[in-house]
Amino acid sequence: MHTVLIIDDSDINLTLIKALVLKLGECSPVLFDNPLKALEWCRENEPDLVIVDYMMPEMDGLRFIGAFRALHGRDEIPVLMITANDQKDVRYEALLGGANDFLTKPIDRVEFSARARNMLSLRTGQKFLADRAKHLEKLVDERTSDIRQREKELIFRMSRAAEFRDPETGAHIQRMAHYSQIIARGLDLGPAMEKLILEAAPMHDVGKIGIPDYILLKPGKLTPEEFEVMKGHARIGYELLKDSGSEILRAGAEVALSHHEKYDGTGYPQGLKGGQIPQFGRIVAVADVFDALTSERPYKRAWSLDDACRFLEDGRGKHFDPMCVEAFLAGWEDVIEVRQRFRDEEIPQI
Amino acid sequence: MAGPFVLDRASILDRLGGDEEIYSMMVDMFLDDVEANSAALASAFASGEATVVQREAHTIKGLLATFSDDDGAAEALAVEKKARAGDLARLGDAVGDLQRRLREVANALRAG
Repeated sequence: MHTVLIIDDSDINLTLIKALVLKLGECSPVLFDNPLKALEWCRENEPDLVIVDYMMPEMDGLRFIGAFRALHGRDEIPVLMITANDQKDVRYEALLGGANDFLTKPIDRVEFSARARNMLSLRTGQKFLADRAKHLEKLVDERTSDIRQREKELIFRMSRAAEFRDPETGAHIQRMAHYSQIIARGLDLGPAMEKLILEAAPMHDVGKIGIPDYILLKPGKLTPEEFEVMKGHARIGYELLKDSGSEILRAGAEVALSHHEKYDGTGYPQGLKGGQIPQFGRIVAVADVFDALTSERPYKRAWSLDDACRFLEDGRGKHFDPMCVEAFLAGWEDVIEVRQRFRDEEIPQI
Repeated sequence: MAGPFVLDRASILDRLGGDEEIYSMMVDMFLDDVEANSAALASAFASGEATVVQREAHTIKGLLATFSDDDGAAEALAVEKKARAGDLARLGDAVGDLQRRLREVANALRAG
């Protein structure tokens, strides 16, 4: 059903046009003898066709069309303007001012029906295209979301693969990723970056895949030579993930390479200092160390939260970026919630 | 001065797609409103407001054209044009003629 808005200050014309519109079929006419009231109606309602007279008191047809077109979303709705035969200049002005076509008075039913039907076909086409565009947009969103979900799942599983060769757990990955997100929030990096670090942080130790078992799983202290090999996991992780088309994997590469750097330049693999260390690396360093300290491992007991906090505070400006430590401690209630949510025996999904 | 109005029912109906129902409705509305339209033109002229005279003449032009009264519509157009130019000085006779024309058309439609 098409809504046809008819505006004419003459009752006889309103009645005539209404009768002709009803003869078109599938049309519901809405009548106004006052263009200002019609404009008010148009603010809340969307007609499929507007038929407007030129000469009316208060506001003529040209001004009505201008005001109508200025309303949001009304720039493509077909408009027919009714003019007298002698008003050629008005017709030109109407066409330039946003009318799609015009009708001449006295109204001829054949001409009226043909022009009105053309305009309604145009409107049907517009609606079809708009619906199709919306449908395609929704489809693309769904597909993109599916792909992103799969990407996230693969990243999580890849990260788990690395962690399986290590005494650490899936819950550790979840906790340190969420701690990283808390720090990003405290640093006011914005929702997009918070999400990105949440998704990228789990890849921090993916390079452990390339470390021999006799070193990775060695129960005792590593020799200096073995430690050198162990340090290689940062660069291996980077090599695995770098140059990806995925923003998450590129962020993961940055995290893998830089999460063992220390703020005072004594970390590895590049010995970067302060702001030279990528921000995600500085964030993940705090999150990873805090979770490692507060988790129980076969070779060590879990530190108390107080001791772990003290370690972070003592490490400000040495091991850790002071601002990252501050952001972490500022989000303490969220940290506790994450610890509760991701316990070592359970591995909920991100 | 326009010639006498001759009701050409066939041409009006042709324009209305042969629809008798719409034709009857138009005639009824014209007859219902004709006195008011005539009075509105006279009152606009008496008030000396050229834009109102122009608008009322325009309305009458449309009404007369609807009933295929080309001569009457031409008279209304002449009034409309003069009013648009702000020239009301010698329009008294033309306004009177137009009022008479409206009554003449109404009578013809009543006789139908």
